[in-house]
Formats: sequence, structure tokens, C-alpha cells
Amino acid sequence: MTAVLDGRSRTRRAARPAPARQASPLAARRRRLFWPLLVPALLVYGVFFAGPSLFTVWLSLNKWAGAGPMSFVGLRNYQRLWSDPTFHSAFGNTLWIIFGVGGLTFLVSFGLTMVLRDMAGRKAARAILFFPNIISSVVLAILWGFLFQQGGLVDSILGATGWHHPPNWLGQGDLFRVIMIGLVWTSTGFYTTILMAAVDQIPPDLYEDCELAGANAFQKFRYVTLPLMWDVVGVCAVLWTISAVKVFEFIYAFAGAAGQMPDTGVWNTALYTYGEAFASGGVPRYGSAAASAVVMVALVGLLVALIRRVMRRDAVQF
Amino acid sequence: MADTLPGPFTRLRGRLTPTRILGVPIVWLFVAFNVLVGLWMLLSSVKSASEIFTSPWRLPHELHWDNYQRAWTQGQFGQAAGNTLVVVAGTALGTLALGAPAAYALSRITTRWNSGFTMFFALGLGVPAQVVMLPLYVVMNDLHLVDSLFGLIVVYIATSLPFTTFFLTGFFGTLPVELEEAAALDGASPFRTFWQVMLPLARGGLVTALILNVIQHWGETVFALIFIQSTGHQTLSLALLGFLQQMQYNGADWGGLFAGVALVVLPVLACYVWLGRRIIEGMTVGSVK
Repeated sequence: MTAVLDGRSRTRRAARPAPARQASPLAARRRRLFWPLLVPALLVYGVFFAGPSLFTVWLSLNKWAGAGPMSFVGLRNYQRLWSDPTFHSAFGNTLWIIFGVGGLTFLVSFGLTMVLRDMAGRKAARAILFFPNIISSVVLAILWGFLFQQGGLVDSILGATGWHHPPNWLGQGDLFRVIMIGLVWTSTGFYTTILMAAVDQIPPDLYEDCELAGANAFQKFRYVTLPLMWDVVGVCAVLWTISAVKVFEFIYAFAGAAGQMPDTGVWNTALYTYGEAFASGGVPRYGSAAASAVVMVALVGLLVALIRRVMRRDAVQF
Repeated sequence: MADTLPGPFTRLRGRLTPTRILGVPIVWLFVAFNVLVGLWMLLSSVKSASEIFTSPWRLPHELHWDNYQRAWTQGQFGQAAGNTLVVVAGTALGTLALGAPAAYALSRITTRWNSGFTMFFALGLGVPAQVVMLPLYVVMNDLHLVDSLFGLIVVYIATSLPFTTFFLTGFFGTLPVELEEAAALDGASPFRTFWQVMLPLARGGLVTALILNVIQHWGETVFALIFIQSTGHQTLSLALLGFLQQMQYNGADWGGLFAGVALVVLPVLACYVWLGRRIIEGMTVGSVK
């Protein structure tokens, strides 16, 4: 993979034609092909994805019940979100997923990466850890929920270790925590794989030097591994932020097994948006759903900008 | 991706570090957990409902293949599997048909628009489904494409174009320029160069993009939930949710549920065993360097 990626940056540089060649008839003929090749994709993407996304911003400034005329209400939808306790808890849960689940996922991924670095059978272990990533979240939620049922597998294991009265994991108090641990379980494999690919690029002799100098595992991590894979950590942080805000199916199927929306206590902003638009019983509130969606995207944008700022530094050559 | 190969001496010495002593068992415990969950799912899919609860770890007394039969017919997984196949195939082929030419144009034909449009597509990667769904629902409703498999395919194609274009733009960039120049010198038109020289060369990338697209949409839920309404058109993940809902009224058919889960997971597992490395590398590509 690395070879391919290195090759990409090299040939891409080579592929940029010199200014003189741009005027050549060949380049001119090729340029005539640019729009015919691009336009079909652009059209579908624009009409069914980019356009509707932009329209959501406008929608968030209007009051609309899905049919009939829209009426412009300015920022009133956002004020409604601001004063809605359900949105508060949903927003809080989204932050918990981004920072709590994210922190734990990164911690576990780093730990796994360090152990897997020179472990026998690392390829097989990586493949098995990665697998939950390509399984439908609905399936993962069903399996995870079944494990934590009263008298289910988790309880029977705990009973074997002497804890005979475990709490009701799927009750109100613990439900969101169980969901968060489930999210750590499903996402760890992906980030471990990326971090492993980065660690593989670090020359092994650096670690040998460390061992000669008597460094322990943590020191090796702190002074060799982390600095040399800093950029990849930044990429992972961005990827996590994006996918954390998108988390929807896992919560929906985990807590709302009866085919209806789960209890509002476990909603995140994605569920809130869906609930306001499609499942709020009475009149759909498209305006505040749109406002909540805009908040989601703004959160992603803000955090990605922040991550890029924090992670920025000179690349280490090695 | 070279393996780090510490010599036998370092490996022996490394065995004494606390990372090894503590870490390796923890990693295998984690791995074993995943394997056990998978095995338990498969075992439960051929057990009777009472066995699933009373003896979760034991082999089934007799194989209840009727679980699969019930899931296939009563749970409507059979129809859902057919729908999913149609949607997934249509989406993957449609996405490639649109994405590959666009990626070629963006990576190999230099105009002043390239970086702008590449960025425009890439931005779509960060947009959650909830941001698109409301206006998109209105658009689809106007076009009478709600609750139709074709409509769902259109939505899937539009939403997978950002990743596919991003992925293939990178891939076309790795191909050597010389071949394009040689084709042009031999008198091939620019379109023929694209169609008969560059596309076959990019086959590896196209196939990876196809596989990733199929896997991603096999269990997709959010858009299916919004745009499919009748059971006749439901996809596998909707059938699974519907089965859960049915159990509320018809009593718990856990054996049937696990058979349904297995029907969703097994094709993906087969695909993964066959093409695992390609899938892993395709999904994590571009993150490292």
C-alpha cells in the first residue's frame, strides 16, 4: 500500500504538464474531454447530494411542515433548539461519542498497535479486529444488545466470577454507556489498522537504538512512535470526528428495537434530526430538523478546523 | 508494507517486556471475543429458542434449519435479499460509470477547474445523511422515486460519489503518463485513450472501489429507512428491523432472528475471507501518507 501511495505522489508531480505543453494540440484535444467526462457525475452529485445539502441551510431559516408554503422565521428554529432539553441531551450525547468514545477508541487502538507491532500472527489478529467495520451496524447492535440482556451472556460470565446481581444494563441509567462501549468495540479495528500501517513505516533500527539506550515501552512510544506518526494521528482524528457525528444505526437499532424511536435519553443529534423530521408523531418539524442538521455539520467543520490547527507542525523526515 | 522483522535475539529479549506479558494476551482476548461472537451467532441460528438462552455455549442438540426457512419466508429475507442484490449491483455499477470518468478527468486532464471540483467532491465526505435527507426527500417525492428501488439506487450513487471519486482520483494519479502519450502518438483519440488504455490499466482500483461500494451498501440503513416504505421493497437491514418489530407481536423467535442476522453477515464474511486484504487496504488507503 505504501509503495502505491508513494508512487502516487511521485507520478502526480510528473503528470503536471510543463507550461509549454499546455498549448500543445494534444493537451487541447484532451481538455475538450474534461467536461463530458465530469458533467454526468457532477450533475447527479449536485442534484441529489450537494444541492439538497445546501438547501437544508435555507430550510433551517424557515418554518415548514413538509407541505404547503414555507415561512421565513430567521433564527427562530435555532432558538427552539437552544431551549429544547431533548436537543441539549442529544447534543451532549454527540459530544460524549466524539470525545469519550473517541478517546477510548484511540487509547485502545494505540495499545493494540504497540502490541501488534512485533507480535506473531499480527495479520490474522488485524483482520479479525477489522471485521466489525464492514458489518451492518444494525447487526452489530442486535448482537451487542443480546449480550447485555438480563440473564444474557454478559450476566452469566459475571455470575461465574461471583457478581450475582449485575445491574440491568439496558435500563435507563446504563443504556447509553453500553452503547458507547459497543461503539468502541466496533470502531477500534479501523483505527488500529491505520495506525499499524503508519507504524510499519517507522524504520525498526530506531527501536533497536532505543532498546540499546534502555528505553521502556512508554518512552519508545513517546519519543519515537508518536512523533513519527503524528500526521496519521491527525488524519484519524478527522476521520473519527466525521464518523462519530454520523453515528445513527447503532443507537437506533440497539435501543429502538421495537421499530420505533428509542428513548430520547440516548438520542444524539443524528437521531434528533431524524426524529424531528420523520417520527415526531404529529406534524413534522422540518425547520428545526434542518437547524439541527446544520448544527451537526457546523460541529464537524469546527472540530476539523480545530484538529488541523492543533496538529499542525513541521513534518519529521525519516 | 514490510513486516518489522526483529531477529531471533531481539524477539527473545522482547518477550520479557511488560508490553508483551500483558499486551499479547489482551490482544488475543479481544480477537477471541470477536470470533466467539461470530461463532455464537452461527450456533444460535440453528438452535431452538429455548436452547439459545439455557445453553448458549453448547452445541445444538439438533440442527434447526427451519430457522432459516422461517426467516427466508415469514421474515421476508428472501425478497429482501433479492432487492438488496438489485440495489447493490445497480449502485456499484452506476457509481463506477459516473465516478471513473470524473476521477479520470480530475486527475489526468489539467484545467484550471481541477482542484476546485476535486475539493467540491471531497467535501461530500464530511456531510452526514441527516443533512441531505429533508430536501432530498422532497426532490425524490416530486420525481415519484420514493419507495422505489431505482430511487434508492440514485440516492446511493449520489452519496457514494464523493468517496469513489476521491479514491479513484488517487488511483488514476499512480498510472504512468507515458502510456497516454504513446497512445496519442499512435493516433488514438483522447476518448479512446481513456476507454481502451487507461480504464483497463486502472482495473485494480476499479475493482477495489466496486467491492467497497458493495460492502458499504449491503447493510446500509439510514437512507433505506427514509426512502423505502413498503415491505415489498425493503432491503436486508430493513427486513432485520422489521423482524425485530414482528417479534413484539408474534412472540420472540430468536432462532429466526439469528438466522436472519446470519443471512446478512455470511455473504459479507465470504467476501471478506476471499478479498480481505484488498478491502482493508482500500478502506484505509490515503490515511497514511
